[in-house]
Amino acid sequence: MRYTEFTPFDIWLLAQGLGVTLGLFLATSLIGVFVGVLWGVVRFYRVPVLTQVITFVSEILKNSPVLVQLFLVFFGFPAFFKVNVTPVDAAIITLSANTAAFVYVIAVSSIESIGRDQIEAARVFGLTRWQVLRHVIAPQAAAFSIGPLTALLVNQLQVTSLISVIGVMDLAKIGANLNLRTLKPFIVWTVVGILYYLAAKLVAAVGAKLEQRLRAHSTFRGL
Amino acid sequence: MLKVENVKKAFGGTVVLDGVNLTVNPGEVVSILGSSGSGKSTLIRCINGLEKLDGGRITVDEFDVSRPKELSEARKRSGTVFQLFNLYPHMTALQNVTLAPIEVLKRPKPEAEAEGRALLASVGLGDRADAYPAQLSGGQRQRVGICRALAMKPRYLLLDEVTSALDPEMTAEVLAILAKLAGDGTTMVFVTHEIEFARQISERIVFLEKGRLLVDLPTDQFFAPTGGMAQPRVAQFLSKMRKD
Repeated sequence: MRYTEFTPFDIWLLAQGLGVTLGLFLATSLIGVFVGVLWGVVRFYRVPVLTQVITFVSEILKNSPVLVQLFLVFFGFPAFFKVNVTPVDAAIITLSANTAAFVYVIAVSSIESIGRDQIEAARVFGLTRWQVLRHVIAPQAAAFSIGPLTALLVNQLQVTSLISVIGVMDLAKIGANLNLRTLKPFIVWTVVGILYYLAAKLVAAVGAKLEQRLRAHSTFRGL
Repeated sequence: MLKVENVKKAFGGTVVLDGVNLTVNPGEVVSILGSSGSGKSTLIRCINGLEKLDGGRITVDEFDVSRPKELSEARKRSGTVFQLFNLYPHMTALQNVTLAPIEVLKRPKPEAEAEGRALLASVGLGDRADAYPAQLSGGQRQRVGICRALAMKPRYLLLDEVTSALDPEMTAEVLAILAKLAGDGTTMVFVTHEIEFARQISERIVFLEKGRLLVDLPTDQFFAPTGGMAQPRVAQFLSKMRKD
Protein backbone atom coordinates (compact mmCIF):
# COMPACT_ATOMS: atom_id res chain seq x y z
CA MET A 1 0.00 0.00 0.00
CA ARG A 2 1.19 3.48 -0.77
CA TYR A 3 0.93 6.63 1.33
CA THR A 4 0.00 9.47 -1.04
CA GLU A 5 -0.78 12.30 1.40
CA PHE A 6 1.60 15.21 2.05
CA THR A 7 3.09 15.32 5.53
CA PRO A 8 4.74 18.21 7.44
CA PHE A 9 8.01 16.29 7.02
CA ASP A 10 7.82 16.93 3.26
CA ILE A 11 8.41 20.62 3.93
CA TRP A 12 11.58 19.67 5.78
CA LEU A 13 12.63 17.51 2.82
CA LEU A 14 12.02 20.36 0.39
CA ALA A 15 14.00 22.73 2.62
CA GLN A 16 16.88 20.24 2.64
CA GLY A 17 16.72 19.95 -1.13
CA LEU A 18 16.72 23.73 -1.47
CA GLY A 19 19.70 23.86 0.87
CA VAL A 20 21.65 21.38 -1.26
CA THR A 21 20.76 23.28 -4.45
CA LEU A 22 21.76 26.66 -3.00
CA GLY A 23 24.90 25.24 -1.42
CA LEU A 24 26.06 23.66 -4.67
CA PHE A 25 25.06 26.77 -6.59
CA LEU A 26 27.06 29.06 -4.30
CA ALA A 27 30.11 26.78 -4.23
CA THR A 28 30.20 26.24 -8.00
CA SER A 29 29.50 29.92 -8.69
CA LEU A 30 32.37 31.04 -6.48
CA ILE A 31 34.76 28.53 -8.01
CA GLY A 32 33.45 29.25 -11.51
CA VAL A 33 33.73 33.03 -11.18
CA PHE A 34 37.20 32.75 -9.68
CA VAL A 35 38.47 30.39 -12.38
CA GLY A 36 36.72 32.28 -15.21
CA VAL A 37 38.21 35.61 -14.11
CA LEU A 38 41.61 33.99 -13.73
CA TRP A 39 41.35 32.71 -17.31
CA GLY A 40 40.37 36.21 -18.40
CA VAL A 41 43.49 37.64 -16.74
CA VAL A 42 45.66 35.01 -18.44
CA ARG A 43 44.21 36.15 -21.73
CA PHE A 44 44.74 39.83 -20.81
CA TYR A 45 48.45 39.08 -20.43
CA ARG A 46 48.32 37.10 -23.71
CA VAL A 47 50.22 34.20 -22.11
CA PRO A 48 51.23 32.02 -25.06
CA VAL A 49 49.87 28.45 -25.27
CA LEU A 50 47.90 28.78 -22.02
CA THR A 51 45.56 31.34 -23.61
CA GLN A 52 44.88 29.04 -26.56
CA VAL A 53 44.30 26.07 -24.26
CA ILE A 54 41.83 28.07 -22.17
CA THR A 55 39.95 29.31 -25.23
CA PHE A 56 39.72 25.75 -26.54
CA VAL A 57 38.48 24.29 -23.24
CA SER A 58 35.99 27.13 -22.82
CA GLU A 59 34.67 26.55 -26.35
CA ILE A 60 34.05 22.86 -25.61
CA LEU A 61 32.35 23.59 -22.30
CA LYS A 62 30.10 26.27 -23.80
CA ASN A 63 29.06 24.26 -26.83
CA SER A 64 28.16 20.91 -25.30
CA PRO A 65 25.22 20.01 -23.04
CA VAL A 66 25.84 20.21 -19.31
CA LEU A 67 24.19 16.81 -18.98
CA VAL A 68 26.76 15.23 -21.29
CA GLN A 69 29.60 16.89 -19.36
CA LEU A 70 28.07 15.62 -16.13
CA PHE A 71 27.94 12.02 -17.41
CA LEU A 72 31.47 12.21 -18.76
CA VAL A 73 32.76 13.36 -15.39
CA PHE A 74 30.64 10.99 -13.31
CA PHE A 75 31.21 7.87 -15.37
CA GLY A 76 34.32 8.84 -17.31
CA PHE A 77 36.64 10.01 -14.51
CA PRO A 78 36.42 6.70 -12.56
CA ALA A 79 36.87 4.69 -15.75
CA PHE A 80 39.78 6.60 -17.26
CA PHE A 81 41.59 8.20 -14.33
CA LYS A 82 40.78 5.52 -11.74
CA VAL A 83 39.52 8.12 -9.28
CA ASN A 84 36.44 7.79 -7.13
CA VAL A 85 33.89 10.46 -8.02
CA THR A 86 30.82 10.91 -5.82
CA PRO A 87 27.71 12.52 -7.32
CA VAL A 88 28.45 15.71 -5.39
CA ASP A 89 32.06 15.74 -6.66
CA ALA A 90 30.86 15.32 -10.23
CA ALA A 91 28.27 18.07 -9.75
CA ILE A 92 30.85 20.50 -8.34
CA ILE A 93 33.44 19.76 -11.06
CA THR A 94 30.95 20.01 -13.93
CA LEU A 95 29.00 23.05 -12.80
CA SER A 96 32.14 24.98 -11.77
CA ALA A 97 33.81 24.31 -15.11
CA ASN A 98 30.67 25.24 -17.02
CA THR A 99 30.23 28.49 -15.08
CA ALA A 100 33.93 29.27 -15.54
CA ALA A 101 33.62 28.90 -19.33
CA PHE A 102 30.85 31.47 -19.51
CA VAL A 103 32.41 33.79 -16.91
CA TYR A 104 35.56 33.73 -19.07
CA VAL A 105 33.59 35.12 -22.01
CA ILE A 106 32.07 37.83 -19.83
CA ALA A 107 35.47 38.68 -18.31
CA VAL A 108 37.13 38.97 -21.71
CA SER A 109 34.41 41.21 -23.15
CA SER A 110 34.32 43.37 -20.00
CA ILE A 111 38.06 43.88 -20.09
CA GLU A 112 37.88 44.74 -23.77
CA SER A 113 35.04 47.20 -23.17
CA ILE A 114 37.37 49.56 -21.31
CA GLY A 115 38.50 52.34 -23.65
CA ARG A 116 42.04 52.03 -24.96
CA ASP A 117 42.54 55.74 -24.34
CA GLN A 118 42.40 55.40 -20.56
CA ILE A 119 44.70 52.40 -20.60
CA GLU A 120 47.18 54.33 -22.73
CA ALA A 121 47.00 57.26 -20.34
CA ALA A 122 47.75 54.98 -17.39
CA ARG A 123 50.65 53.33 -19.24
CA VAL A 124 52.09 56.71 -20.19
CA PHE A 125 52.17 57.69 -16.52
CA GLY A 126 54.26 54.61 -15.85
CA LEU A 127 51.73 52.20 -14.38
CA THR A 128 52.64 48.56 -14.97
CA ARG A 129 50.27 46.23 -16.79
CA TRP A 130 49.20 44.78 -13.45
CA GLN A 131 48.57 48.22 -11.93
CA VAL A 132 46.52 49.20 -14.97
CA LEU A 133 44.46 46.02 -14.59
CA ARG A 134 44.03 46.50 -10.87
CA HIS A 135 43.21 50.22 -10.74
CA VAL A 136 41.82 51.17 -14.13
CA ILE A 137 40.38 48.09 -15.82
CA ALA A 138 39.12 45.87 -12.99
CA PRO A 139 36.82 48.36 -11.22
CA GLN A 140 35.15 49.36 -14.47
CA ALA A 141 35.06 45.86 -15.92
CA ALA A 142 33.44 44.61 -12.70
CA ALA A 143 30.67 47.19 -13.01
CA PHE A 144 30.25 46.37 -16.68
CA SER A 145 30.13 42.61 -16.15
CA ILE A 146 27.74 42.46 -13.23
CA GLY A 147 24.63 42.54 -15.45
CA PRO A 148 25.61 39.65 -17.75
CA LEU A 149 27.09 37.82 -14.76
CA THR A 150 23.80 38.01 -12.85
CA ALA A 151 21.91 36.73 -15.88
CA LEU A 152 24.40 33.87 -16.20
CA LEU A 153 24.15 32.89 -12.54
CA VAL A 154 20.35 32.96 -12.57
CA ASN A 155 20.57 30.53 -15.48
CA GLN A 156 23.22 28.39 -13.77
CA LEU A 157 20.94 28.11 -10.74
CA GLN A 158 18.32 26.44 -12.94
CA VAL A 159 21.02 24.29 -14.55
CA THR A 160 21.88 22.81 -11.13
CA SER A 161 18.63 20.83 -11.38
CA LEU A 162 20.39 18.57 -13.93
CA ILE A 163 22.57 17.06 -11.22
CA SER A 164 19.53 15.28 -9.81
CA VAL A 165 19.93 12.68 -12.57
CA ILE A 166 23.15 11.34 -11.04
CA GLY A 167 21.51 11.11 -7.63
CA VAL A 168 22.41 14.34 -5.83
CA MET A 169 19.58 15.05 -3.39
CA ASP A 170 18.92 18.57 -4.57
CA LEU A 171 15.59 20.35 -4.85
CA ALA A 172 14.74 18.73 -8.20
CA LYS A 173 15.55 15.24 -6.89
CA ILE A 174 13.43 15.77 -3.77
CA GLY A 175 10.65 16.99 -6.05
CA ALA A 176 10.96 13.85 -8.18
CA ASN A 177 10.82 11.64 -5.08
CA LEU A 178 7.79 13.45 -3.66
CA ASN A 179 6.10 13.21 -7.01
CA LEU A 180 6.65 9.47 -7.19
CA ARG A 181 5.23 8.98 -3.72
CA THR A 182 2.26 11.34 -3.83
CA LEU A 183 1.41 11.12 -7.54
CA LYS A 184 0.45 14.81 -7.41
CA PRO A 185 2.77 16.30 -10.05
CA PHE A 186 1.01 19.62 -10.40
CA ILE A 187 1.28 20.43 -6.71
CA VAL A 188 4.83 19.11 -6.27
CA TRP A 189 6.34 20.72 -9.36
CA THR A 190 4.51 24.00 -8.79
CA VAL A 191 5.97 24.24 -5.29
CA VAL A 192 9.43 23.22 -6.53
CA GLY A 193 9.14 25.71 -9.39
CA ILE A 194 8.20 28.52 -6.98
CA LEU A 195 11.18 27.71 -4.78
CA TYR A 196 13.56 27.89 -7.78
CA TYR A 197 11.87 31.12 -8.83
CA LEU A 198 12.33 32.73 -5.43
CA ALA A 199 15.96 31.63 -5.27
CA ALA A 200 16.56 33.07 -8.75
CA LYS A 201 14.91 36.35 -7.73
CA LEU A 202 17.21 36.52 -4.74
CA VAL A 203 20.28 36.07 -6.97
CA ALA A 204 19.00 38.78 -9.33
CA ALA A 205 18.32 41.16 -6.45
CA VAL A 206 21.83 40.70 -5.04
CA GLY A 207 23.22 41.33 -8.54
CA ALA A 208 21.19 44.50 -8.97
CA LYS A 209 22.30 45.81 -5.58
CA LEU A 210 25.94 45.12 -6.41
CA GLU A 211 25.64 46.78 -9.79
CA GLN A 212 24.19 49.89 -8.20
CA ARG A 213 27.19 50.13 -5.91
CA LEU A 214 29.79 49.46 -8.58
CA ARG A 215 28.25 51.98 -10.95
CA ALA A 216 28.05 54.75 -8.37
CA HIS A 217 30.35 56.96 -10.44
CA SER A 218 28.05 56.99 -13.47
CA THR A 219 24.61 57.25 -11.85
CA PHE A 220 24.38 61.00 -12.29
CA ARG A 221 24.87 60.79 -16.04
CA GLY A 222 21.11 60.89 -16.27
CA LEU A 223 20.92 58.22 -18.94
CA MET B 1 67.22 67.16 -23.31
CA LEU B 2 64.53 65.53 -25.38
CA LYS B 3 65.92 64.28 -28.64
CA VAL B 4 64.11 62.93 -31.68
CA GLU B 5 66.54 61.60 -34.27
CA ASN B 6 65.54 60.60 -37.79
CA VAL B 7 62.34 58.98 -36.54
CA LYS B 8 60.30 56.94 -39.00
CA LYS B 9 56.86 55.52 -38.45
CA ALA B 10 54.40 53.90 -40.83
CA PHE B 11 50.98 52.39 -40.26
CA GLY B 12 50.59 49.62 -42.79
CA GLY B 13 51.76 51.20 -46.02
CA THR B 14 51.08 54.77 -44.90
CA VAL B 15 54.20 56.65 -43.90
CA VAL B 16 53.27 58.99 -41.03
CA LEU B 17 56.68 60.12 -39.82
CA ASP B 18 59.43 60.28 -42.40
CA GLY B 19 62.75 61.07 -40.76
CA VAL B 20 61.84 63.63 -38.12
CA ASN B 21 64.57 65.38 -36.13
CA LEU B 22 63.74 67.56 -33.15
CA THR B 23 65.56 68.67 -30.03
CA VAL B 24 63.84 70.23 -27.04
CA ASN B 25 66.04 71.81 -24.39
CA PRO B 26 64.96 72.11 -20.76
CA GLY B 27 62.94 75.28 -20.17
CA GLU B 28 61.94 75.58 -23.80
CA VAL B 29 58.40 75.72 -25.18
CA VAL B 30 58.27 74.21 -28.66
CA SER B 31 55.03 74.29 -30.61
CA ILE B 32 54.32 71.83 -33.36
CA LEU B 33 52.02 73.07 -36.10
CA GLY B 34 50.73 71.26 -39.13
CA SER B 35 47.53 70.20 -40.77
CA SER B 36 45.52 67.19 -39.61
CA GLY B 37 47.23 63.97 -40.58
CA SER B 38 50.66 65.55 -40.77
CA GLY B 39 51.94 63.28 -37.99
CA LYS B 40 51.86 65.65 -35.01
CA SER B 41 49.97 63.35 -32.67
CA THR B 42 51.95 60.33 -33.83
CA LEU B 43 55.15 62.16 -32.97
CA ILE B 44 53.86 62.74 -29.42
CA ARG B 45 52.79 59.09 -29.20
CA CYS B 46 56.27 58.03 -30.26
CA ILE B 47 57.90 60.25 -27.64
CA ASN B 48 55.84 58.76 -24.79
CA GLY B 49 56.34 55.24 -26.07
CA LEU B 50 52.78 54.47 -27.17
CA GLU B 51 53.96 53.71 -30.69
CA LYS B 52 56.94 51.59 -31.69
CA LEU B 53 59.39 53.37 -33.95
CA ASP B 54 60.11 51.93 -37.37
CA GLY B 55 63.40 53.75 -37.48
CA GLY B 56 65.49 56.36 -35.69
CA ARG B 57 65.81 57.04 -31.99
CA ILE B 58 64.05 59.06 -29.31
CA THR B 59 65.75 59.80 -26.03
CA VAL B 60 64.35 61.61 -23.02
CA ASP B 61 67.30 62.74 -20.90
CA GLU B 62 69.40 59.97 -22.47
CA PHE B 63 66.75 57.30 -21.82
CA ASP B 64 65.86 55.53 -25.05
CA VAL B 65 62.10 54.99 -25.34
CA SER B 66 62.62 52.01 -27.67
CA ARG B 67 64.37 50.04 -24.94
CA PRO B 68 61.80 48.46 -22.61
CA LYS B 69 64.13 48.86 -19.63
CA GLU B 70 64.61 52.58 -20.22
CA LEU B 71 61.05 53.36 -21.27
CA SER B 72 59.68 53.53 -17.73
CA GLU B 73 62.42 55.97 -16.76
CA ALA B 74 61.73 58.02 -19.91
CA ARG B 75 58.03 58.03 -19.10
CA LYS B 76 58.67 59.29 -15.58
CA ARG B 77 60.32 62.31 -17.13
CA SER B 78 57.57 63.21 -19.55
CA GLY B 79 53.92 63.89 -18.80
CA THR B 80 51.25 63.74 -21.46
CA VAL B 81 48.01 65.68 -21.73
CA PHE B 82 45.62 64.17 -24.25
CA GLN B 83 43.28 65.70 -26.78
CA LEU B 84 40.27 63.79 -25.42
CA PHE B 85 41.41 64.07 -21.77
CA ASN B 86 41.53 60.25 -21.29
CA LEU B 87 40.60 60.56 -17.62
CA TYR B 88 39.68 57.46 -15.61
CA PRO B 89 35.88 57.80 -15.42
CA HIS B 90 35.48 55.74 -12.25
CA MET B 91 37.81 57.94 -10.24
CA THR B 92 37.30 61.40 -8.83
CA ALA B 93 39.35 64.32 -10.11
CA LEU B 94 41.65 63.92 -7.12
CA GLN B 95 42.05 60.16 -7.62
CA ASN B 96 42.83 60.76 -11.28
CA VAL B 97 45.63 63.08 -10.22
CA THR B 98 47.05 60.93 -7.40
CA LEU B 99 46.91 57.45 -8.97
CA ALA B 100 50.29 57.58 -10.70
CA PRO B 101 52.17 59.40 -7.89
CA ILE B 102 50.94 56.79 -5.38
CA GLU B 103 51.43 53.72 -7.58
CA VAL B 104 54.46 54.65 -9.65
CA LEU B 105 56.40 57.07 -7.47
CA LYS B 106 55.25 55.25 -4.29
CA ARG B 107 54.36 58.53 -2.60
CA PRO B 108 52.46 58.20 0.69
CA LYS B 109 48.76 58.68 0.05
CA PRO B 110 48.14 61.69 2.35
CA GLU B 111 51.12 63.50 0.86
CA ALA B 112 50.04 62.76 -2.73
CA GLU B 113 46.50 63.87 -1.93
CA ALA B 114 47.61 67.12 -0.34
CA GLU B 115 49.70 67.85 -3.41
CA GLY B 116 46.87 66.81 -5.71
CA ARG B 117 44.44 69.15 -3.98
CA ALA B 118 46.94 71.99 -4.21
CA LEU B 119 47.42 71.32 -7.93
CA LEU B 120 43.67 71.24 -8.55
CA ALA B 121 43.27 74.45 -6.56
CA SER B 122 45.97 76.08 -8.68
CA VAL B 123 43.87 75.50 -11.80
CA GLY B 124 40.69 76.72 -10.12
CA LEU B 125 39.28 73.29 -9.31
CA GLY B 126 39.81 73.36 -5.56
CA ASP B 127 36.12 72.72 -4.91
CA ARG B 128 35.77 70.02 -7.59
CA ALA B 129 38.41 67.59 -6.31
CA ASP B 130 35.83 64.97 -5.36
CA ALA B 131 33.78 65.22 -8.55
CA TYR B 132 33.84 62.45 -11.15
CA PRO B 133 34.88 63.33 -14.73
CA ALA B 134 31.29 62.99 -15.95
CA GLN B 135 30.30 65.76 -13.53
CA LEU B 136 32.86 68.17 -14.98
CA SER B 137 32.75 70.35 -18.08
CA GLY B 138 35.21 69.72 -20.91
CA GLY B 139 37.45 72.57 -19.81
CA GLN B 140 37.43 71.34 -16.24
CA ARG B 141 38.26 67.81 -17.39
CA GLN B 142 41.21 69.04 -19.38
CA ARG B 143 42.43 71.02 -16.37
CA VAL B 144 42.28 67.77 -14.39
CA GLY B 145 44.22 66.16 -17.24
CA ILE B 146 46.91 68.83 -16.90
CA CYS B 147 47.08 68.35 -13.12
CA ARG B 148 47.37 64.60 -13.61
CA ALA B 149 50.42 65.15 -15.81
CA LEU B 150 51.93 67.78 -13.49
CA ALA B 151 51.49 65.57 -10.42
CA MET B 152 54.30 63.37 -11.74
CA LYS B 153 56.59 66.42 -11.79
CA PRO B 154 57.62 65.75 -15.38
CA ARG B 155 60.59 67.52 -16.91
CA TYR B 156 58.80 67.61 -20.24
CA LEU B 157 55.13 68.24 -20.70
CA LEU B 158 53.71 66.78 -23.92
CA LEU B 159 50.47 68.43 -24.98
CA ASP B 160 48.56 66.79 -27.80
CA GLU B 161 45.98 69.21 -29.19
CA VAL B 162 44.70 69.73 -25.70
CA THR B 163 42.09 72.32 -26.67
CA SER B 164 40.80 70.75 -29.89
CA ALA B 165 37.76 69.23 -28.18
CA LEU B 166 36.82 72.40 -26.33
CA ASP B 167 34.67 75.41 -27.16
CA PRO B 168 36.37 78.85 -27.26
CA GLU B 169 35.48 79.72 -23.69
CA MET B 170 36.83 76.45 -22.29
CA THR B 171 39.84 76.75 -24.58
CA ALA B 172 40.62 80.09 -22.96
CA GLU B 173 40.44 78.47 -19.49
CA VAL B 174 42.97 75.85 -20.47
CA LEU B 175 45.27 78.16 -22.40
CA ALA B 176 45.47 80.52 -19.42
CA ILE B 177 46.87 77.68 -17.36
CA LEU B 178 49.34 76.68 -20.06
CA ALA B 179 50.52 80.29 -20.36
CA LYS B 180 51.17 80.32 -16.63
CA LEU B 181 53.10 77.05 -16.85
CA ALA B 182 55.15 78.39 -19.75
CA GLY B 183 55.88 81.49 -17.71
CA ASP B 184 57.07 79.30 -14.83
CA GLY B 185 59.67 77.73 -17.10
CA THR B 186 57.94 74.37 -17.72
CA THR B 187 59.37 72.59 -20.74
CA MET B 188 56.58 71.92 -23.19
CA VAL B 189 56.08 70.22 -26.50
CA PHE B 190 52.85 71.74 -27.63
CA VAL B 191 50.95 70.24 -30.54
CA THR B 192 48.24 72.69 -31.43
CA HIS B 193 46.06 74.50 -33.89
CA GLU B 194 45.99 77.62 -31.71
CA ILE B 195 48.49 79.57 -33.76
CA GLU B 196 48.23 82.91 -32.01
CA PHE B 197 48.62 81.27 -28.63
CA ALA B 198 51.57 79.21 -29.84
CA ARG B 199 53.16 82.42 -31.01
CA GLN B 200 52.76 83.99 -27.57
CA ILE B 201 54.21 81.20 -25.47
CA SER B 202 56.71 79.38 -27.72
CA GLU B 203 60.43 79.86 -28.05
CA ARG B 204 60.38 77.78 -31.20
CA ILE B 205 57.84 76.63 -33.72
CA VAL B 206 58.18 73.61 -35.95
CA PHE B 207 55.97 72.81 -38.89
CA LEU B 208 55.16 69.23 -39.85
CA GLU B 209 53.94 68.34 -43.29
CA LYS B 210 53.30 64.77 -44.43
CA GLY B 211 55.56 63.34 -41.76
CA ARG B 212 58.47 65.64 -42.54
CA LEU B 213 59.69 68.52 -40.47
CA LEU B 214 59.44 71.38 -42.95
CA VAL B 215 60.45 74.26 -40.67
CA ASP B 216 62.10 74.52 -37.25
CA LEU B 217 62.65 78.17 -36.31
CA PRO B 218 62.56 80.55 -33.33
CA THR B 219 59.04 81.95 -33.05
CA ASP B 220 59.74 85.47 -34.37
CA GLN B 221 61.59 84.08 -37.38
CA PHE B 222 58.85 81.56 -38.06
CA PHE B 223 56.34 84.34 -38.60
CA ALA B 224 58.78 86.61 -40.46
CA PRO B 225 58.29 86.98 -44.23
CA THR B 226 61.87 85.82 -44.81
CA GLY B 227 61.66 82.93 -42.31
CA GLY B 228 58.94 80.32 -42.10
CA MET B 229 56.58 82.39 -44.18
CA ALA B 230 59.02 82.07 -47.07
CA GLN B 231 57.87 78.45 -47.31
CA PRO B 232 54.78 78.48 -49.53
CA ARG B 233 53.19 75.59 -47.62
CA VAL B 234 53.57 77.37 -44.26
CA ALA B 235 52.25 80.66 -45.62
CA GLN B 236 49.26 78.85 -47.11
CA PHE B 237 48.57 77.01 -43.84
CA LEU B 238 48.78 80.13 -41.71
CA SER B 239 46.57 82.18 -44.00
CA LYS B 240 43.93 79.43 -43.99
CA MET B 241 44.04 79.02 -40.24
CA ARG B 242 43.70 82.73 -39.62
CA LYS B 243 40.72 83.12 -41.88
CA ASP B 244 38.74 80.58 -39.83
